[in-house]
Amino acid sequence: MAAPLIELLDISRSFGSTRAVDDVSLTVQSGSVHAVTGENGAGKSTLMKILAGVIRPDAGTIRLEGCEVHFSSPLGALGHGISTVFQEFTLIPNLTVAESIFLGREPMRRWGGIDYPKLRSGAAAALARLESAIDPDGMVRNLTVAEQQIVEIAKGLSADARVFIFDEPTAALNSADVEKLTRLIRDLKARGKAVLYISHRLEEIFALCDTVTVMKDGRHVATRPTAELNEHDLVAMMVGRELSSFFPPRAGTVGEPILTADDLRVTAAAPSVRLKLYRGEILGLAGLEGQGQRGIARALAGIEPAEAGRIEKTDRDQKRQALPVDAGIGRTLASGIGFVPEDRKGEGLFLDLAIRDNIALGVETGRPFWTLAPNTTAVIGSMMQSMNIRARNADAIVGSLSGGNQQKVLIGRWLSSGVDVLIIEEPTRGVDVGAKAEVYKLLRAFSDAGGAVLVLSRETPELIGLCDRLLVVHGGAIVAEMAADGATEHDILHSAIGSRQAA
Amino acid sequence: MAHTLEASSNAGGANHWVRALGRRLIEIPPAYFVLAAVLIAIALLNPNLMKPQVLLTFIRQSAPLGVAVLGQLMVMRARSIDLSIGGVFIITNYLLTSGLLGGQPVAVLVLAPLVVGLVVGLVNGALIALVRASAVIVTLGVSIILTGIVLFMSSGRPPGRVPDELRAIANARIDVVPVPVIIWVVAAVIVAVLLKTLIFGRYLTAIGSNPQAARFSGLPLPRIVVTTHVLSGLLAALGGVMFTAALGVGSVKFGPEIMMNSIAATILGGVTFGSGRGGVAGPFVGVVAFALLFALMTVFGIQEPGKLIVQGTVIAVAAIIYGMRTR
Repeated sequence: MAAPLIELLDISRSFGSTRAVDDVSLTVQSGSVHAVTGENGAGKSTLMKILAGVIRPDAGTIRLEGCEVHFSSPLGALGHGISTVFQEFTLIPNLTVAESIFLGREPMRRWGGIDYPKLRSGAAAALARLESAIDPDGMVRNLTVAEQQIVEIAKGLSADARVFIFDEPTAALNSADVEKLTRLIRDLKARGKAVLYISHRLEEIFALCDTVTVMKDGRHVATRPTAELNEHDLVAMMVGRELSSFFPPRAGTVGEPILTADDLRVTAAAPSVRLKLYRGEILGLAGLEGQGQRGIARALAGIEPAEAGRIEKTDRDQKRQALPVDAGIGRTLASGIGFVPEDRKGEGLFLDLAIRDNIALGVETGRPFWTLAPNTTAVIGSMMQSMNIRARNADAIVGSLSGGNQQKVLIGRWLSSGVDVLIIEEPTRGVDVGAKAEVYKLLRAFSDAGGAVLVLSRETPELIGLCDRLLVVHGGAIVAEMAADGATEHDILHSAIGSRQAA
Repeated sequence: MAHTLEASSNAGGANHWVRALGRRLIEIPPAYFVLAAVLIAIALLNPNLMKPQVLLTFIRQSAPLGVAVLGQLMVMRARSIDLSIGGVFIITNYLLTSGLLGGQPVAVLVLAPLVVGLVVGLVNGALIALVRASAVIVTLGVSIILTGIVLFMSSGRPPGRVPDELRAIANARIDVVPVPVIIWVVAAVIVAVLLKTLIFGRYLTAIGSNPQAARFSGLPLPRIVVTTHVLSGLLAALGGVMFTAALGVGSVKFGPEIMMNSIAATILGGVTFGSGRGGVAGPFVGVVAFALLFALMTVFGIQEPGKLIVQGTVIAVAAIIYGMRTR
């Protein structure tokens, strides 16, 4: 048998006192897609950066078809046929697509100038092989994230790379682009290339990859053919323990309506929406992506005023309160509705402030300017403990926390403020597997304590597992309602699309 | 691909330690380093000046600027800026020296400019927060209008003089400490305590850190911005009264310089756009450092051109440090 295309042998790399990669070995065969997975901070990105020539290992060897190689830069690695699509894009915005594809290895004329016609035709050929309509003369800054990825792949193809590394490529893509990327990767595999695919999205690993390597705390845990595993096994390997149940038990009984909307029109052209959220339940807005779930949630939260409608909130002493559609966040919040946006860093958190400041704002918001700020030390201490926020202390800067802990801080802000309705977008985006279960548990504890949660998520399995009841949204309207228990992704898709055919 | 190459540099243990120390140092407002450098220079070059009485006399000159900076720092923490401070100083100077308020008691002499400052702050804040006009353009425009009004009203008349009661206050001392310095310190302590303990201070921190998140947390952004501008207008008017009282005569020359120095001292004091951080102490020290720097240059006979060069350099360095901190 021929030597494997790539062998990583006993690779180690430390940053300061942390061993990011600890004695890891890995072999990759050509014509296969090999997943590397693990929780955030497991060392998968570092390992790939070593293979891509970005970082040099402290110890260990890399062999390419049996021959030992050393890379001093990403360009050096590309010269050996290893191409990388990094998590954060490294294309330069003010170059053209063709210039980017040949950056650092431009075809030269005899007298030293860049051979632009050759550069352009080479780029066009590489893009054509990817069946892409991207203009080689277009500027990189005008490209979408998905198009930038294609340019990175074209770069690899034009350099005749044999190994393609994808570092969390779908993190910033919508579902149509994910599908396109999946086809591209299958195509690379069919051409006999080796693909390394870094991801912690289980569905993608099972759908796309032949082999999966799990890393944890910088160490190699296991390498298995995906066909031998199921999701449960894989999660257990990633987390390093059996997750008895990923999702907490559903609500036994629900109470009276806590938030109702009638004839709610998000925009003048949108269909009218009617929904009821009951005390003690977690309600999910399901459906295909971008069908108006977000607009409904944000209208209810008072973030973006709706065009028309009646919203009513019932507080803990059964008092009903009508909320005008243009009430604004201040008033919805005062009525007891908290909002956790999808873009946690941009719209939710104060990244350069301490955990203390981020949570305390939940208590402080709505108070008059010239009153004393309340002492929140006790509230914050108990919140950090009950939510299991892992940080040195309450003075830790939120920007330095992991995605899961950041999400807990944001949820903690509203728990400390005493709201009884939580509207939350993408509750576990960028949150690693272990912390996901904790976030689910927190939301369930909130609803069990007499609150109610409205959840939006692109991950339908998450909605099915977490919620009590699902509303399927299509074209801005609620087209179906179902119990989450027993619902399948197929049911949801069917009711979304079926209704369109009926209409 | 350029920035990925940086990651390949070796991150050894000692290197790590040096970088941690560097980060810690960068957290300290640059004003402290400037003040230390100026004090060392004075001590080495002319030790005779290192007496409280002398230093306090230098600092007294910058007390009006220091009071105005208290407003500027709040405005800048709310991600706005107030370029109308110069205009407020100028119109205050006109009110006090033109004879308009001739024969009025001291209380009126102080209150009238404060009313003007309040109105200017309200106009600035309303245009910025409600009409969503650019803070730079609005406040610069207001400043130019105020200067224009003063030039129109005073054209053809000789510059007036400040009422004697005000002059007396500006020149008074309690023990060795000049009264303007006391007013400044008291105002700074009040502002610092209020920002630390009141809800308003928390809101200001949040909006400086992330305005969008502040909005999503239910904070009334427009009202916060308007409030900072009103406070800045009031403090600028108070600074203008102190400045005019010390100057003694009518003038319109100093406006742009006061405005620029207020921004420079605030940045030097560690208040930066786009961050929730920054206190009152940093800009306070920034003003002190400026005062001593100019005094030092005066003592050594450096003329106006030289002062401008040094002043510009300090502002540029502050901007560079600001860039490093936000990275």
